[in-house]
Amino acid sequence: MDRMKRGDDMGIIDFFLNIAEYFIKHIDKISTYTIEHFILIIIAIILSLLIWLTVGIAIRNNLGLAKGVLGIGSFIMSVPSIALYGILVSVPGFGLNRRSAVFGLILYAMLPIVRNVYVSLNQVDENIMEAAKGMGLSPRQVLFKVQLPLAVPVILAGIRVALVMMVGIATLAVYIGERNLGSLIQQGIVRTHDDMIIVGAILVSVMAFLVDYIMGKIQKAIVSPGLITDDSTSKKEVA
Amino acid sequence: MIKIENVVKKYPGMERPAVENLSMEIGEGEICVFVGPSGCGKTTTLKMINRIIEPTSGAIYVNDVNVLKQNPDKLRQNIGYVIQQIGLFPHMTVHENISIVPKLLDWKEDRIKKRVDELLEIVGLDPEENRSKYPKALSGGQRQRVGVARALAVNPPIMLMDEPFGAVDPVTRSQLQNEFLRLQKKIKKTICFVTHDIDEAIKMGDKIAIMEQGNLIQYDSPENLLFNPNNEFVEDFVGSDRSLKVLNLLRIDTVLKKDVKTVATNNDISALHQFFENNRKKRAIIVDETNKVVGYVARNDVPKGSSSKGWNSIIKPIPATLPLQATLRDALAQMLQYDLGAVPVVEEDNSLLGVVDLDEIRSHIGEAYHEFGQDEAG
Repeated sequence: MDRMKRGDDMGIIDFFLNIAEYFIKHIDKISTYTIEHFILIIIAIILSLLIWLTVGIAIRNNLGLAKGVLGIGSFIMSVPSIALYGILVSVPGFGLNRRSAVFGLILYAMLPIVRNVYVSLNQVDENIMEAAKGMGLSPRQVLFKVQLPLAVPVILAGIRVALVMMVGIATLAVYIGERNLGSLIQQGIVRTHDDMIIVGAILVSVMAFLVDYIMGKIQKAIVSPGLITDDSTSKKEVA
Repeated sequence: MIKIENVVKKYPGMERPAVENLSMEIGEGEICVFVGPSGCGKTTTLKMINRIIEPTSGAIYVNDVNVLKQNPDKLRQNIGYVIQQIGLFPHMTVHENISIVPKLLDWKEDRIKKRVDELLEIVGLDPEENRSKYPKALSGGQRQRVGVARALAVNPPIMLMDEPFGAVDPVTRSQLQNEFLRLQKKIKKTICFVTHDIDEAIKMGDKIAIMEQGNLIQYDSPENLLFNPNNEFVEDFVGSDRSLKVLNLLRIDTVLKKDVKTVATNNDISALHQFFENNRKKRAIIVDETNKVVGYVARNDVPKGSSSKGWNSIIKPIPATLPLQATLRDALAQMLQYDLGAVPVVEEDNSLLGVVDLDEIRSHIGEAYHEFGQDEAG
């Protein structure tokens, strides 16, 4: 803290120099942490997609079940991450390892993904549903050819929220044995090393921002141009 | 073609059935219009034919096969279905929308492409221009056309249409109705058509089924409905302005004047002078070499000199033309809207067939009313 309070003109430059110095000196450790952080999130999101997309689709026509499932999701969301990890560690079969870290992240992804899948599948215009049925599409064909393609933007938005959240929550997994960008922050606090904390915080933010950016790109690539409303107005004006 | 036998639809918790013991037959190639106030059971009846709604009891036969014993998806693939909101799939292009059912039936890609282009032509959309558009880029009328093309994709013998022209403006609606009647002349489908608009029913229907509170009140030709209503309800529903309704029934071909004097664009101006000398008309219809209507020239706009070559520049576009399938009501509506004494009647390619004028309509209405209404007192 002393370093920050020193003379105004030199202080800011010193401050950044310190951070840069720390970054360069420990580049090996930092890149390992970044990669670990990334791997944890990739594993968690892949499993989350498999589980929660399936659950969301499975409950789409069952309001009662959906209410129950989404209730559980909301409850999990309200449990502080530290507490959740604490509970997971004490569960037999989990303990202090990556399994617990991944499982925690999957639980937090439940609400944004399941909710968006459920809501978006049920939001499809009833006239479109009736037209699909009236043309002789089976319920399964209606789901895959009509409902899901129309739901993609909303589902992607949910996945995007889940991913950004995971990047942040993953930092707390260092308390149950993970080694990632959270370690920089945690150790920085313990050792009162400002530069360490700040490097960790910046990298976590950059990663969250990058994940968000990549999801935006994915969205652009896979959402049908027919569903993008902004384009239509500008095209109409041109035409 | 379609036989409905003692069909009942009851919803749990409702006092009276939505459809009560309905029996009727719809002949092959006919347009049968179901009409009545909201809640009369007309849409329910329509949707029971393709089992969007399942009847509580009774049987419905399509070509002597009970639809209730068929696989509903297979059944629906062979019945064209058009609803008011159309329900085009916004994430698919026009081509993809139309090719859904052909794809379900495993058509080859080149056969599908050919069929889509053919259908777009049939409904009056340029395939080149529209095939890869998304629904959001289409106007209401264009969407409706794509909806009809989609329903016709695998050439089903039957079409069910639930207020198909209900969501477009009146001008587009009458245009779509005329186009559809022209199309029906070619494709001769068996069509069940639901509307709440008695004028539309009279115009479109070969037969009209008037329903009230789940019961079929009268199932008859439009003429009989107008002049021999079964009871007070039908009379009220048809309305007191029956003589005006008759206008929906009469096509303009009955009053069409075929020998119309026109001036061609490649004539020189003396032809125009001559036209106005020999006729007392205020306007001359101008056609091109192939008899396609180009516009009109008003008497007052004609330059006096005989040497002016570029007289074509005084041609004005004609505000309204009519297709041959239009009714007298359409014709009168155009005349009143644009203050015209006569409206040119044109083919699809805009070539001139003739004109309808107000005097002719007036004398014809008198005759027609007399003819239909002769067994009525007064």
